[in-house]
Amino acid sequence: MNSPNSPVQSHGSRYCCFVVGSDCFAVASTGVAEVLRDGKITRVPHAPEAVIGIIHLRGRIVPVIDMRRRLGLPAAEASIGGTHLVLSLLDEWYSLLVDEMLDVIEVVDDAIEPPSRATSESSHDAVAGVYADADRLVHFLDPQRIVQSLARQREPYLQKQGASHGGI
Amino acid sequence: MNDNREFIEEFLVESGENLDQLDRDLIALEESPDDPQRLASIFRTVHTIKGNSGFFGFSKLGALTHSGEHLLGRLRDGKIQLNDRVTGTLYSMVDAVRSILHTIESTGVEGEQDFRELSQTLAAVAAEDVDLPEAAPEAASLPVPPAPADTPATLAPAVPTPVEPAPKAVTPSASPAPPVPPTSRTASVPTAPPVKPAALASDTSIRVDVGLLASILDLVGELVLARNELRNVESADPALEGVIHRINTVTNSLQEAAVKTRMQPIEHVFSKFPRTVRDLAVACGREVQLVIDGADTELDRTLIESIRDPLTHLVRNAIDHGIEAPAAREAAGKPRAGRLLLRAFHESGQVTIEVQDDGAGIPVEAVRSKAIARGLIDADGAALLPDERILQFIFEPGFSTAALVTSVSGRGVGMDVVKTNIEAIGGTVDIHSRPGLGTTVRVRVPLTLAIIPALVVRCATERFALPLAAVGELVSLRADGGPRIEGLAGADVIRVRGRLVPVVFLDEFLGLRRTTAARENGTVVLVRVDDHEFGLVVDGTQTARSDGDASPSHDSAVVSMEAASLSTIVVKPIGSLLAQLGIYSGATVLGDGGVVLILDLRGILRSTELPPQPRRADDANSAAIGVNDSFLVCRTITGRRIAVPVDAVVRLEKFAGEDLQAAGGKRLVRRGDIFTPVIDADCLLGAHAAHDDVGSVSLVVLDGRCGGIGVAVRQILDVAAPDSMLQPSLAAPGVAGTFSIGGIATELLDLAALVPTAASRS
Repeated sequence: MNSPNSPVQSHGSRYCCFVVGSDCFAVASTGVAEVLRDGKITRVPHAPEAVIGIIHLRGRIVPVIDMRRRLGLPAAEASIGGTHLVLSLLDEWYSLLVDEMLDVIEVVDDAIEPPSRATSESSHDAVAGVYADADRLVHFLDPQRIVQSLARQREPYLQKQGASHGGI
Repeated sequence: MNDNREFIEEFLVESGENLDQLDRDLIALEESPDDPQRLASIFRTVHTIKGNSGFFGFSKLGALTHSGEHLLGRLRDGKIQLNDRVTGTLYSMVDAVRSILHTIESTGVEGEQDFRELSQTLAAVAAEDVDLPEAAPEAASLPVPPAPADTPATLAPAVPTPVEPAPKAVTPSASPAPPVPPTSRTASVPTAPPVKPAALASDTSIRVDVGLLASILDLVGELVLARNELRNVESADPALEGVIHRINTVTNSLQEAAVKTRMQPIEHVFSKFPRTVRDLAVACGREVQLVIDGADTELDRTLIESIRDPLTHLVRNAIDHGIEAPAAREAAGKPRAGRLLLRAFHESGQVTIEVQDDGAGIPVEAVRSKAIARGLIDADGAALLPDERILQFIFEPGFSTAALVTSVSGRGVGMDVVKTNIEAIGGTVDIHSRPGLGTTVRVRVPLTLAIIPALVVRCATERFALPLAAVGELVSLRADGGPRIEGLAGADVIRVRGRLVPVVFLDEFLGLRRTTAARENGTVVLVRVDDHEFGLVVDGTQTARSDGDASPSHDSAVVSMEAASLSTIVVKPIGSLLAQLGIYSGATVLGDGGVVLILDLRGILRSTELPPQPRRADDANSAAIGVNDSFLVCRTITGRRIAVPVDAVVRLEKFAGEDLQAAGGKRLVRRGDIFTPVIDADCLLGAHAAHDDVGSVSLVVLDGRCGGIGVAVRQILDVAAPDSMLQPSLAAPGVAGTFSIGGIATELLDLAALVPTAASRS
């Protein structure tokens, strides 16, 4: 999937590319705080479904968003540990758990097209544009949209499970 | 002007500090009007602001401060004399300057506000003759033409004869009260004059960005974790051992120092009060002498902001409702000027702040009848409760609105808000008042919010931290006749010393497990949030040495708080995405590197449908104790007769004084492999421990709810039931109340008060 020879245009913006499922995605490199493999994830009960937990990174507690779940893809095989792509967004950090990091590409804004219909339904809201690279289609994600739609999801845990436990 | 942004920001910060200094200087000047140095300092400060505003082209600010400077110059040269009108006008100028600076800060420009009237008033006051002192308030109302030579030409011509003078400036002298010498109206008596230290501070301190300090603290946290890992490295190399030891020591010191950078003296709040008190005193027609003590007491800077409003509220209450008008005070044989004491000090890991007045006090009977009228307590109960407890009703929401405020001089407006705000930062408020003598409100807040003592519990496969401040006690569940969960009308409860406390199964609540295994042999953590008590059922607590796989102790019915893991944790924010869930207040990293969520107990309480069960002040002890309960009656070493509930006693022992061992400042008695900490019963009752050589004494070993401590007494007298109801008493520390056993008055040891004692010792 690597394409080290992708044409590098001048005066473009730089994007970090990564793989989730079988597709290639990218986010602006300016927002990337860190990339790390393996972080011990602590579960957060009642968090939005795609938030699989939190990790500790350089003194901060960082929520981990499983991009497979976020994009509505089946869960990865256990063997794929995943990589944390940590983004800084409005002074808060979020980790996107992706299958594999790829390269950094430089793209001029004009070359980015509106999202194609090919992008699946649930990922559509986060995809800001697509770019046809030499041998692949790169989906540009808007990190803010990824987080914002999650913020609206809340598990209805308020209904108490009172009836479920009976006598003594 | 945008190029100057950085400089302007610096100018704003500096001017803000200058204005604070100006407030302090003006108050001090009122006290000693003939202090030429003080006057010179004020003059310099205003001159600096004027100079800077000219540099940045802020013409309004320049014109205003120019007028002020002119007035101050006349004052300095003895052309006019200091009186209420002069100081009032100068205060108005400080306020106006502050307002302009605020506008500049938010919009970048001076704004549309018009301060020409104020400038003219300044000029008018400056033009007054030395022979026309305060006795001529009418003169102030007349439009006095500004001094033509000194006033900037741009100010005067537009409105040469204003119909009304600036209202603010004349308020002090226009008040109907006869003019009093300014010195007696407000006089601040700070423990140290603030002028000199301020000058020195610039030599030894620098301005550092708060964000930078925060990141240093974060990095130190990282270092601590790396150090922890390093400590686990097995090595046979003595050189490495030495290095690890050194790194360990340095890291500890570094962490301490880094935490200190978060600390600020409470002076930052207190310094505003001389001015606030002066203004309030003028507005309410009171004479107030403000005494500030302990302004150098330090606490976390984030907390300093949180206590500012509650304290201001308390100060306002004290002046408005506490301290009487001068005439009323004289009639009552008190000095005309009321005394308002603001005191801060450190006490057992907390900061205590007292707001004390020598006013009329709170009419307890009015509070009592109001509490009955509002159905907070019945008449019989109210009659039994001591005044001290009755006063606490003032903190009930909406308690002091309407009737009390109007019919009886309503002290305590919005006290529930004060209480809520203080409790939100983990603090407490209590109030003491004596009719005719005054009122003291005592606020206790933690030193810091960033680092709190916590209890780590296990639930299913996860661990969670609970703020220890909310934890009352731990009860271990047992299937074979010990404490257990009961279903009562569809709700789960646990019976604790006769009280029924609703419980929440944490695993079910968090959806971690469907069938709760904790029901049979878990641990119930009794927590208190606001006025609600509930039990949180968890699998167990993490014991101090374990790394998560320890099983709860089944030996005793109750888990010792000391065996439980009481860690000091660093609270880290979890970000808006997870904070909005409302059930976690943060997360922390434990010594083993594991990340653990901190439960927001208030949020959990809100999210469950627990029956409302406000704990009334009166049922905490008395209602829980039936006449049939048995008590162990003992005589203390100094001869007091005390009782301990039998069900809290694990065993009784006799021991000789020489069996006591001292370790780490504690006294311990050893039995097999178990060390039991020993506390003299007299100490628990607030008295001094008797003498060194106690001879042979008996030890009443309490169960884990009370920290598993042994209470040393002289003699065990009896096991008996009381033959009267408990009379609660607040006055004596460590005593829950007094009742009669065998016809003799006996004090009941307050076991609830032992729990925090036990926790703080670990």
